[in-house]
Amino acid sequence: MTLIPLIDAAACSAHGDCEDIAPEIFRLEDVAVVIDDGPDELMLAAAQACPSIAIRLIERESGEQAYP
Amino acid sequence: MLIVGGGLAAQRCAETLRRGGYEGPVRIVCGEPHRPYDRPPLSKELLAPGADEAFPLLRPAEWYGEHAVELLPGVRASSLDHEAHRVELEDGSALHFDHLVAATGARPRTLPEFAPYANVSTLRTLEDSRRLRELLEEGRRLVIIGAGFVGLEVAAAARAVDAPVAVVELARQPLGGVLGAEVGDLLVRLHRSAGVELFFETEVSEIDGGERVEALTLSNGVRLSVDHLLVAIGVVPDLGWLSSSGLPTFGIPTDLGGRSALPDVYAAGDAAAFYDPFLERHALIGHWEDASRQGAAVARTILGEDPAPAPLSSFWSDQYGMRIQYLGHAALADEVTIEGDLDARDFVAHYTQAGRLVAAVVVGRPRSVPELRDRLSYLTETTAV
Repeated sequence: MTLIPLIDAAACSAHGDCEDIAPEIFRLEDVAVVIDDGPDELMLAAAQACPSIAIRLIERESGEQAYP
Repeated sequence: MLIVGGGLAAQRCAETLRRGGYEGPVRIVCGEPHRPYDRPPLSKELLAPGADEAFPLLRPAEWYGEHAVELLPGVRASSLDHEAHRVELEDGSALHFDHLVAATGARPRTLPEFAPYANVSTLRTLEDSRRLRELLEEGRRLVIIGAGFVGLEVAAAARAVDAPVAVVELARQPLGGVLGAEVGDLLVRLHRSAGVELFFETEVSEIDGGERVEALTLSNGVRLSVDHLLVAIGVVPDLGWLSSSGLPTFGIPTDLGGRSALPDVYAAGDAAAFYDPFLERHALIGHWEDASRQGAAVARTILGEDPAPAPLSSFWSDQYGMRIQYLGHAALADEVTIEGDLDARDFVAHYTQAGRLVAAVVVGRPRSVPELRDRLSYLTETTAV
């Protein structure tokens, strides 16, 4: 768990793909929200699946953006 | 609260109402015999082998009970009596409303010359998709009329299972030419190299068959044998039930909050033509994201909240494992410049009008999307000229 997920609320269109892939990390409200931490691979799969590219993943240590 | 139509806009409207604390009854007249489900997969992953049991529900069955949202599946509205605040249903019953949301979506355009034949279909519903998947799995030869997103996605799905497929398009470019020649040509190359027969500026000049279409002769002289024919030439709003209501049935114009010209009547999704502050007119869009946001916008209006800012127009398509991301209004562009490598599926296409960015297509470069979205955000501002 070296990645921190962030949702760009203005970009999120509530597709719900992140919740489908990782329901323990993301939940769909008006837009998707982060509810918990999870394995990096799962967060990356969810971020890559997002049709709106609204999920950013930040490296916890360096603060660098890992995705997109 | 009565929502007529059981798709994405209806679902988002009901969800947003409940999340916003709306306590009155919420009813959805679904039309189709299903709970609200997601349509984009119908021309994508649901056509893949083994998808026969898949059901892309927008919310699990128990959600509706938990949120006190009543579903009326398999019933269609037949007319609106606005004065009485009543919607009549095709089964002869009627429902009263305080607020009505017209969210009946769209139905596929058809071609009258193919109406008599049994092996001709369109793609709009789960049943349409399942039938098509079975035909593809049997390796049937498919001919598709129309090289829009649905036609091209189905063609890609057919090649994925090695089913023979041809696409016949009246226009010179796929997708109505809206993405420009470069991106259009790339799609054509991708499909041809996957084995799709593609014919542009071509129409059907002769149909051979009895109960079924057996073969087509095209205007370029090519003869195609046919096991199944898919007509994929776009959609029209499904608003026959409003024909005597005084509202236009070619799409209901609404303001940014989804209000129609009739008090207490709102519209959202493919049946609605929301006002677009940038284009300065009402626009029928038909994208997934618009249906989602419009359903939520109507709910906010009913809750007494301001509508969220108009979103940037966008859509996506998956073909041959390539995700195409689109933002903005490419139809306004007078020039297209490509940055990157089209054939490596790694590029950004910039669409400009008098040098100003009006749209972008992104393939293989998700990192550039947030920045492009920022640069295009002026398209959603009311004051933009």
